[in-house]
Amino acid sequence: MNRNAFLPGVTGIALLLLVAVPVAFVVLQAVFPHLDTGSYSAPFSTFTRVFAEPSLQALFATTLKVGLGVALCSALIGVPLGALRGLFALPGAVLWDVVFLIPFLIPPYIAALSWMLALQTNGYVQQLLPWLHLNDFLFSLPGMVAVMTLNVFPVVYFAVSRSMAASGSRLADVARIHGAGPWRAFIRITLPMALPAMASSLLLAFTLSIEEYGVPGALGSRSGILMLTTGIEQRLADWPIDMPGAAVLSLLLVAIALCAYSVQRAVLAGKNVESMTGKPADVTQKSLAGWTLPVMALFTVVAFIAVALPIVSTLVTAFSGTLSGGLTLSNFTLRHFGNLFAAHSDALGALSTSLSLALGTALIAGATGFLASWLVVARKIRGAALIDGLSLFPATLPGIVVGVGLILAWNRSFWPVTPYNTWGILLLSYCCLLLPYPVRYVSAALKQIGGNLDAAARVHGATAAQALRMILLPLVFPSLLASMMMVFAVASRELVTSLLLSPAGVQTVSVYVWRQFEQGSVGDGMAMASIAVLLSLTLMLIAFRLQQRQTS
Amino acid sequence: MTAMTLSLAMAAGSAQALTLYTAGPGSLAKKLAAGYEKQTGVKVDVFQATTGKVMARLEAEQANPRADVLISASWDTATDLEQRGWLLEYQSPNAEQVPAQFKTPYYVAQGISALGIVWNTKSGTTEPKDWGDLAKPEFKDKVTTPDPSLSGASLDLLIGLQNAHAQQAWKLFEDLKANGMIIAGPNAQALTPVLQGAKAAVFGAVDYVSYGSVQDGESVKVIFPSSGTVIAPRPMMILKSSQQQKEAKAFIDYALSPEGQKLVADAWLMPARTDIDAKRPLFKTLKLLPEASQASASRKDVLERFAKLFGQQ
Repeated sequence: MNRNAFLPGVTGIALLLLVAVPVAFVVLQAVFPHLDTGSYSAPFSTFTRVFAEPSLQALFATTLKVGLGVALCSALIGVPLGALRGLFALPGAVLWDVVFLIPFLIPPYIAALSWMLALQTNGYVQQLLPWLHLNDFLFSLPGMVAVMTLNVFPVVYFAVSRSMAASGSRLADVARIHGAGPWRAFIRITLPMALPAMASSLLLAFTLSIEEYGVPGALGSRSGILMLTTGIEQRLADWPIDMPGAAVLSLLLVAIALCAYSVQRAVLAGKNVESMTGKPADVTQKSLAGWTLPVMALFTVVAFIAVALPIVSTLVTAFSGTLSGGLTLSNFTLRHFGNLFAAHSDALGALSTSLSLALGTALIAGATGFLASWLVVARKIRGAALIDGLSLFPATLPGIVVGVGLILAWNRSFWPVTPYNTWGILLLSYCCLLLPYPVRYVSAALKQIGGNLDAAARVHGATAAQALRMILLPLVFPSLLASMMMVFAVASRELVTSLLLSPAGVQTVSVYVWRQFEQGSVGDGMAMASIAVLLSLTLMLIAFRLQQRQTS
Repeated sequence: MTAMTLSLAMAAGSAQALTLYTAGPGSLAKKLAAGYEKQTGVKVDVFQATTGKVMARLEAEQANPRADVLISASWDTATDLEQRGWLLEYQSPNAEQVPAQFKTPYYVAQGISALGIVWNTKSGTTEPKDWGDLAKPEFKDKVTTPDPSLSGASLDLLIGLQNAHAQQAWKLFEDLKANGMIIAGPNAQALTPVLQGAKAAVFGAVDYVSYGSVQDGESVKVIFPSSGTVIAPRPMMILKSSQQQKEAKAFIDYALSPEGQKLVADAWLMPARTDIDAKRPLFKTLKLLPEASQASASRKDVLERFAKLFGQQ
């Protein structure tokens, strides 16, 4: 292999290993049900079998309902708040941004478990407000939608507020000068300008919610509601197992996600109104005048429900001696935190496993993502489309499908060595799932740099690798670092592939919390959850600051 | 750096570690593993989950088996695996003190749990005495039950009730369903809403989980129904595919040693050996459901019928 082909070669192999292999095995297993015995007989018979099952329709319908419901509710919360934040001079604007970043950082399964403790009959909320009955609402489809929405709406809020701040108000001002009323200017100018951002963020909300496992896993079991994700997990992890069935359902889920993703791409194509120039936009935000108080009240209510309640519920449980003791001062204890550090406790092991895996993932996904985006954006090599596609494809891959794919691919007797049943398989799954973060961030940064600097270095005799290392890497490093911190934060709490793939003797933070709930040690689970949330919060805030510093 | 240390530690450890798949209390498994490691120097990798998940993993890894020792929460699963020819025959010398009903040439009980009603004493309901009480209007929408497809012990109760009462048992399940009983994941997940008072009682809770909660100060009570209940011995077995049969046998010996059985008793299970004390009622004092008059109901049929009744399929 010559020097010029070395980096593309390494990147290509990494992408094949991380993305193509698991996906290929899902497809193979779905098509050939007897693959595990090495036989290619009865192709497509699993499709016929699964599609004939009466429960499939319900699975499919529930998944779509949840996805659409979350998108709709996220729009109801995210669009008005985003518009207010983007167009008006909001007191404490940056602070609100930070606050609305938090729900997105609380792992959904921890949020769901917290909501359960807060809202079920005689839960924390009812202990304070005895007339408020939300138990039946929580354990229902609308309840699941509500919990997911509160986690996901920040995506819409950020997209809408940024898009409106960047483009909305100046052109609307022009319309106002030419005689349009404030509403007319908003409806005719500001709103249409923000539509692409709105549409793409809503589609993202849809995709995130149909891929979610933790919320339906925690709430669905009590309400008897199955989504595709929980249905797949059941086939794969409950006795008797049905690998081909799980593979077929996985393909179905990927198909829905891919549809949403292509709609998103189509909406965005050529209509990206966000400025990528890096020049600071001349933002003139209007004063809220007499509306300041009501608007602040609205932001406070949303922040209280989406941010404060689940966090308080988590903390209260972590510090409560007994669940039946309820909200009393005498019930306060530090025992659960003590249990985390006790002898024979897996908690510290789980924490260090998660942190090590997250670090490994950040390094590998960061390096692979950086190389992939460099090859695609700056070098424009042959096969760029393939590299681009492979590196961004996991964005449409639900975690559960990656888990299924890795089991199907590596739990085979024909491999001389296999990462299956080692921590390596977790590393593979996290890297695959999180690869799109560095790719997106670095690509955006590289596009801003342009080709001149690279070309200048090459003219002066630098090799491609030298130019990469000495010119481009330092320039995009803040973006890369921010994306790697994001990867670290998400990887340190990933749930569904960890549940499926953790080998004997290896526990992650998420598996630990989940198992404590399964075994009735709710307090210990929530003590661990508090530590995990605090940790990812700190990291994400640092990443956020890095990103802010770069764009401003 | 941490990742590298971790990888090195694991590469070194996995060379001779024993792999234990276990349903039931993770803390007990961890303590047994630690005690065994201290005695023999052999590390034990534990995979702990519900019976359903443990069995699923075993099945999924059929082509490439990993587990050496398996501890299930359901006697039936052991019978099933023996029939498939997956188990290694082994009689531990320490099994001598285990009653004959809790051992076969292929597997032996690690400990025994019983199923009962767990009732929140602060729930404002009267204390239930028998299974049927939970179908009364007083317990409308206030009862949970573990999912028998996930919890081996819960399935044993269904089979026990059907064996003892036949059609009457199904009438009871129908009444419970009509009274708003919900299925709530594996054992502890059925208990959590009862602890907080969202529900008043668990139908068919595994007792050791609840004794643990009582010890932590939760206001719940374990009640063994007057018409009788089932006990669920938790079978330990060695997989025939194990590469470490010597170590696996030593692990069974350790779990059945007085020291190991003490750990079992500390986890609020009944020890399998009759010569070890426990701080809870032992199976000799419990009223058990009568044995089946004809062939025992098949687990698959019972599960399917139950799932259909509760609309899970």
